[in-house]
Amino acid sequence: MNRKKTYCFTAIVGQEDMKTALILNVINPGLGGVLIRGEKGTAKSTAVRALAELLPLRRQVKGCRFGCDPDDAAHLCDECRARLERGEILEAEEQPMRVIDLPVSATEDRVVGTLDIEHAIKTGEKKFETGILAGANRNILYVDEVNLLDDHVVDVLLDSAAMGVNTVEREGVSYSHPAAFILVGTMNPEEGDLRPQLIDRFGLSVTVAGEHEVERRVEVLENRLKYENDPEAFFQEYEPKQAELRARISEACARLPKVTYSRAVMELIAKICIQLEVDGHRADIVMLKTAVTLAAYHGKDQVEKEEILQAARLALPHRMRRRPFEDAQFDFSRIEELLRE
Amino acid sequence: MKRVVYPFAAVLGQDEIKKALLCNLVNPMIGGVLISGEKGTAKSTLVRGLEALAGSQRLVELPLNITEDRLVGSIDLSRALLEGRSVLEPGVLWEADGNILYVDEVNLLSDHIVNTLLEVAAGKQNVVEREGISCVHDSRFVLIGSMNPEEGKLRSQFLDRFGLYVEVQGERDPAARVEIMSRRLEFERDPLGFLEAYREETARLQRAVTKARELLPKVEVTENALALAASLSENVHCCGHRGELATVETARALAALDGRRMLNTEDIREAARFALAHRAREIAPGTALPPEGEPDSREDRDRQDQETQQEENQEPAENPDKTPEEERNQDSEPQTSEEQEKPAEQQDSENTGEESGRREPSRQISDGEDREGDFGESEEVQESGEAFEIPRWQEPPAFHRVNQGAGKRTLVKSDNHQGRYVGYRTAGGEKAEDLAFDATVRAAAPFQKNRKKNGRAIAIEKADMRLKIREKRTGGCILFVVDASASMGANRRMTEVKAAIVSLLNVSYQKRDRVGLIAFRKDGAELLLGITRSVDLAQKRLAELPTGGKTPLAAGLDLAYEVIMGLKMREPEVQPVIVLVSDGRASGKKDKNSNPFAEALKSAERIGNQKIRTIILDTENGFIRFHLCGKLNEKLKGTLLTMEELRSDGIIEAVKGYAAPLA
Repeated sequence: MNRKKTYCFTAIVGQEDMKTALILNVINPGLGGVLIRGEKGTAKSTAVRALAELLPLRRQVKGCRFGCDPDDAAHLCDECRARLERGEILEAEEQPMRVIDLPVSATEDRVVGTLDIEHAIKTGEKKFETGILAGANRNILYVDEVNLLDDHVVDVLLDSAAMGVNTVEREGVSYSHPAAFILVGTMNPEEGDLRPQLIDRFGLSVTVAGEHEVERRVEVLENRLKYENDPEAFFQEYEPKQAELRARISEACARLPKVTYSRAVMELIAKICIQLEVDGHRADIVMLKTAVTLAAYHGKDQVEKEEILQAARLALPHRMRRRPFEDAQFDFSRIEELLRE
Repeated sequence: MKRVVYPFAAVLGQDEIKKALLCNLVNPMIGGVLISGEKGTAKSTLVRGLEALAGSQRLVELPLNITEDRLVGSIDLSRALLEGRSVLEPGVLWEADGNILYVDEVNLLSDHIVNTLLEVAAGKQNVVEREGISCVHDSRFVLIGSMNPEEGKLRSQFLDRFGLYVEVQGERDPAARVEIMSRRLEFERDPLGFLEAYREETARLQRAVTKARELLPKVEVTENALALAASLSENVHCCGHRGELATVETARALAALDGRRMLNTEDIREAARFALAHRAREIAPGTALPPEGEPDSREDRDRQDQETQQEENQEPAENPDKTPEEERNQDSEPQTSEEQEKPAEQQDSENTGEESGRREPSRQISDGEDREGDFGESEEVQESGEAFEIPRWQEPPAFHRVNQGAGKRTLVKSDNHQGRYVGYRTAGGEKAEDLAFDATVRAAAPFQKNRKKNGRAIAIEKADMRLKIREKRTGGCILFVVDASASMGANRRMTEVKAAIVSLLNVSYQKRDRVGLIAFRKDGAELLLGITRSVDLAQKRLAELPTGGKTPLAAGLDLAYEVIMGLKMREPEVQPVIVLVSDGRASGKKDKNSNPFAEALKSAERIGNQKIRTIILDTENGFIRFHLCGKLNEKLKGTLLTMEELRSDGIIEAVKGYAAPLA
């Protein structure tokens, strides 16, 4: 079956923060994903699904069920490692990054993987049947309505999201494999909160709202109608823009390792995080990585204040320490003040 | 899968956890360590990095979603099917023997697994009796757990299993944070190169551990040291002797790490800080224990620690002449300081002063303001009073029985194929729904040689059928029905009531309960918030709740009845609770001939007949009381609590305990 095209990422009107956050994660999969919060009908899931059309090609080991990176010796799965140790050469192929869906109704055994019953009955041998997390390795793992996910599935996500490894000790199976995925979640905050521990696993967070300008709203409508009337023509119309963005992403990917940052940048980030009383150190680290990735996306070789400010906007709001029931108010003026100093 | 772990030696700061972990490497008699702290503070990084220092010991991880068969071990399926032999395939407890067993997010572990783990940790042996396998093997491990207290608490029984307890916080120093950032990015850029860079330092630490392990048997423990440990433990009202044993063993490890054969008092004191904090028994209600993860208590403790240090700085570091008696007197200071004996409220307000901006300043509840004049149709919105902490709940034992074994609040044995598969049971005569395939095949495996297969690869008989045991964390469902009439505006009563509700909501937040809110005032009842998981929203609605007008109690109860019955229809497994907040007085009748209170009683009876669980918070105060809630409660057949009781010692626990097995 041919993959059905969803919508054009570039045809989404406004929602710049959300779009930037998603693109940054594609450029730098180490950012830790993004949580998109917003009301119904604000193109949240459309954006994530449309992202699939922009994902770059990358090298992966041919035939590996986890899509290991042949150039990253530190994160190979057991099978690839064993092959390497036997002296085999890992053949590589180019495949695009993918968006893997984690439906809210998914059962735990489907998420983490389980004993292959059929194999066990037929041959009497135990075999690990991989789950969604295996396929998500080095890809985007997308959870729509992430706040409605069953608690025990969240528990599983917590560990693999932090460590990039899925450890299975269940149903007679003992296995662990790489599961370094980009966690992308969308949610409507009216339907309940996300557990604090899971929120922290998301590298970035953005809040989207419907457009309020009439002109913009008209534009949204026009695009949507165009798409529904004649999807093919719609895709063709946007293809140049899509190609441009694709090129920009792959350029940024190439530039990313070369971006540098001064000690002053790090000091500033540390100061901001201390000022805002964020929990732990993940905020600092994510903020620095985000600033670096932004610089790459902006075509710069050096992180500047502009990137820090934008990184703060993306990496900090969901990490502000707050007691339950306090409104999380994110005060940018404090950051801007610090930046001016 | 072998993973590349951030080296222990490269973690900046966090000296307390490092020390506690190293002590456990040196001396397995300590009994492990529990690390509690906010997210992103290198908790699990440190533990995972420990393996590189542990010599022959390995770090065995116990994932949250482990099933029982993998924990204790089960029949080796392949050998049973192919060779017809029953051989044990060892589980995690076997692997953990002589090693380190690590549970990340240990507070989220399912009860089923915790029980098994506790049993083995206590007996140091794993007894396997299942699937035709009968075997006993040693299972002595150093148990390490890490948790974020925001996600809920640990059972006290489980807590006590951990020899030591450490709390972590992030670094506050900008320079240190910069260093942490840059090391982490360096590691991510080139993990293998980073390991190489810290190889020397790692080797140094490893040597230190090895040396300390050799020295440990030679470390002498004097009578004085033992007496000091015992008195410290007594001073914080530790139950049992595990606290002082852990203290002494840790002190030995500290001395060994320091290359000394003699214990000094400093070792004992330092060890006691690790070993006693989580065992200190509550002295006054409202004194949050460290494992409850209340930020306040952490600060308290820090302050106490500082005091201890100051005190110690004033005296010579070692004073062997001191008698244990003197020690006791001195050490009683920081631990049982007056602070803890103060009523919770007072303590709260003190803390508020310190962490200005993080809390609303506490409001005096009966500030003598005369608001009688506000009676009538006027509306006002009173803010919530200072929320009080609801201490760790203790399950009233009766509840399990009342609840027909449905389990406690957080964990419901679910029968509708939802929830985590934690174990299995024989099907008996039941219909084999939700079959545990793996367990069924394992059960059938040993008999394959002698069974007729009729062309099938494996013959399964009815007796082999195993069904899944699942556990689901549902949280409770609490519907608040709040009197918002004018009388509640009097004497700032609403402030107090809101404080009480917020306290319950605080608990609900952690337990991920669902909540709803009904207010009755003026001409009727209003569903301000349908049953939702957003506890935040409930709090907001509550804050906005105006008071004023008559008291249509019956209407409030009727609406509650409808909401709950609707919920029960959709989700039969939910056992919701109604919390009625009222003084029992009713006004504003539905029809002219009846009396409002009689109407309310009728409505209450309807709820009582449905066996819907209810709690009445009786807000009646003053000298003249009508005890109307008591009459109401006869019909509701619930629990009646007065505000005074709620505030005063112990009863809060009762509510909490009551609210506990609701699910």
